[in-house]
Amino acid sequence: MTRADMRRLLIDWLDDHYHFGDAESKIGSDDASFLDKGVLDSLGFVALVVYLEDTFRVTIDRRSLNRENFDSVDKILAYLEARTGAVP
Amino acid sequence: MSADERPVFVPDPETAARSQMADFLGTCARRTGNTFEDWPTFSRWSAACWRDFWRLFLEWAAPEFEGSPEPVCVGDAIETATFFPDLLLSYTGNLLRSGTPVQEDAVALIVRDESGRRAQWTRRELRSRVEAAARALRARGIGVGDHVVAIARNDDAAIVACLAATGLGATWSSIGPDQGPEAMLARFRQLDPCLLFAVGSQPYQGASRSLRERLEAVVAGLPSVRALVSLDGDVAALDGLDRPVLTLAGLESEGAAGESFPWPCVPFNHPLFVMFSSGTTGAPKCIVHGVGGTLLEHLKEQRLHSDFQSGDRLLFTTSCGWMMWNWQLSALASHTTIVAYDGSPTYPTLDALWRVVAEEGVTVFGTSPAFLGYCRDTAIVPREVVDLAALRAMQSTGSVLGERLYDWVAQNVKPLPLQSISGGTDILGCFVLGNPLLPVRRGEAQSVSLGMDVRSLRTDSLAGDGVGELVCGNPFPSRPLGLFNDPGGERFHQAYFAQNEGLWTHGDFLVLTPHGGARILGRSDGVMNIRGIRIGPAEIYTILLDIPEVRHAMAVEQQAPEDPGGTRLVLLLVLRDGVILDRPLTLRIKKEIAQRSSMIHVPAVMVAVEDLPATHNGKMSERAARDAVNGKIPANLAALRNPACLEALRTHPDLGGRFGGREG
Repeated sequence: MTRADMRRLLIDWLDDHYHFGDAESKIGSDDASFLDKGVLDSLGFVALVVYLEDTFRVTIDRRSLNRENFDSVDKILAYLEARTGAVP
Repeated sequence: MSADERPVFVPDPETAARSQMADFLGTCARRTGNTFEDWPTFSRWSAACWRDFWRLFLEWAAPEFEGSPEPVCVGDAIETATFFPDLLLSYTGNLLRSGTPVQEDAVALIVRDESGRRAQWTRRELRSRVEAAARALRARGIGVGDHVVAIARNDDAAIVACLAATGLGATWSSIGPDQGPEAMLARFRQLDPCLLFAVGSQPYQGASRSLRERLEAVVAGLPSVRALVSLDGDVAALDGLDRPVLTLAGLESEGAAGESFPWPCVPFNHPLFVMFSSGTTGAPKCIVHGVGGTLLEHLKEQRLHSDFQSGDRLLFTTSCGWMMWNWQLSALASHTTIVAYDGSPTYPTLDALWRVVAEEGVTVFGTSPAFLGYCRDTAIVPREVVDLAALRAMQSTGSVLGERLYDWVAQNVKPLPLQSISGGTDILGCFVLGNPLLPVRRGEAQSVSLGMDVRSLRTDSLAGDGVGELVCGNPFPSRPLGLFNDPGGERFHQAYFAQNEGLWTHGDFLVLTPHGGARILGRSDGVMNIRGIRIGPAEIYTILLDIPEVRHAMAVEQQAPEDPGGTRLVLLLVLRDGVILDRPLTLRIKKEIAQRSSMIHVPAVMVAVEDLPATHNGKMSERAARDAVNGKIPANLAALRNPACLEALRTHPDLGGRFGGREG
């Protein structure tokens, strides 16, 4: 799966559950902070992690659930790429 | 006895003996000549001899009142019985009544929020603020017969405004700022309120969202409102809306000078709170709760069942739109300190709320299965990150508390009584709850609320050992006075008494356990419980009426063990000919619901179906659809004109494979 595919799945999930078609405009740029931009609340992060585990067949250590790893599109994709070997 | 059947917590005998429940039990034994050799005997007596019970409890709890405590109750029919018709009292006066010098200078209220703001008031200071606000409101003519409403955050401003208004004899209704304007108006406009208290923004997760647009819509829809009162000083959010704008701080300042305030006593059955509950049809119900019933019930639940007392600090995670906000308020009557927290429980750190619990020395922490499940799923171990030495009990409500969460709390918080409590807006209290005398068992509320004849009523359509409808068979003081704008009581009767004549039918499934506990098994009616919040599908249907592609819709709750709270909202749609439920339509429907109602109303799953179950006279059957999507065989299939459609629900690929699994 390419990075672009992973990004599409991530944006679709955000639209399906939180932004209903407005996820791209809400995020603005891929390095923008989800928390600062109000893209996701903390409970949303937990739901996102469950989705990522199911979709990308990875196990995410809950102790790594922090802003360093999950607070932007770029960070999430980097985290997943490191574990799935996705093609850039 | 297997490991899971053993109690997860057993109270220390000395602590139990010192509890207020033990003291009251002793009082009842002495006064009645009964021995009450065990809990079930005492519990049964309290329900069977409920007049004696309430007379003795009033005497023991000793709220301030005028008039006579006799008769205890006129009438024996639960629907019409009237408690203490010759007794007068003040809710506010009892919550703020003077105490010893030590109690006067003790902290009564602490507010915290996610930004780190902290403030506190002693009992004397809080009373002074409430009295000042009340003087200013009284000067503006607010009093008996008025309804005031509020869009408020869980903080000192809401508490001061509520106690001031209700202290003057007005009713109070509040809602959290996260609700959409349509939901706010559907509730408030039924009351013709004279005053709207409001905040101008909603801080959450470090961001602040202006409520200006919502307030414009709400104020425009409430022509009866004579003035707007800013709770947070954000006057700009209210300016230019064609009504005078005041601030709570301004009112307090204006009313600061004055003589000691004698809170007027009102009749026991004078209206106090109007609460809202959305059902399967029509506008949300406006449930009217009385001054005396609310106070007496909360005193019973908090002093006896929860053992709240001077020195306790209560933090209950709630918004102003949930009945637990009103419930927490009453803790002042037990001289318990309220720690009101506003904002995200997980910001700026995932364990933020636990830090507040520790920093404030909270002794009783009230939360929900959804929050506890979240902590478990994010591997938060509270005992490792904060000092919880002061914490002596936890309470959980909102949805069914799964058995494994009892073990999670024991292992990751500390060994303490984790009390599952359940009741609701309808009674502004609990039918089942904690008990300082009894062990805690996984998955169970410790006991039935004293004075209530709670039964599990079996019907032919129910399967499972002991599973029945939660009904109450005797009068109780916190039964609502009725529904607003329901002069003949017809809607009130239909809501609670029509299903089982002579009994209060609550809308929950229940099992009573042999040792006096109770297991709540979820809703028995069309109302849903999603992440601990009750949702009436009628509000969703109203929005869908404006989406032309939708012909019919049905919203039902489906068991979803992996979701927060253990359930999810499923929306079943019959679309107009030629319409396909594609992604753009799906997102548009979700967006409409989110904007006009709230995020909690947004379905987790939407599916298009050919038909929805309906009875022979055309009434849609949410219950049959709910059974089908949960893999059950609906009862009384003969009552349906189209039972074949249920097979499509049971086998739908987007709805399948959801049954069973681990509990929340």
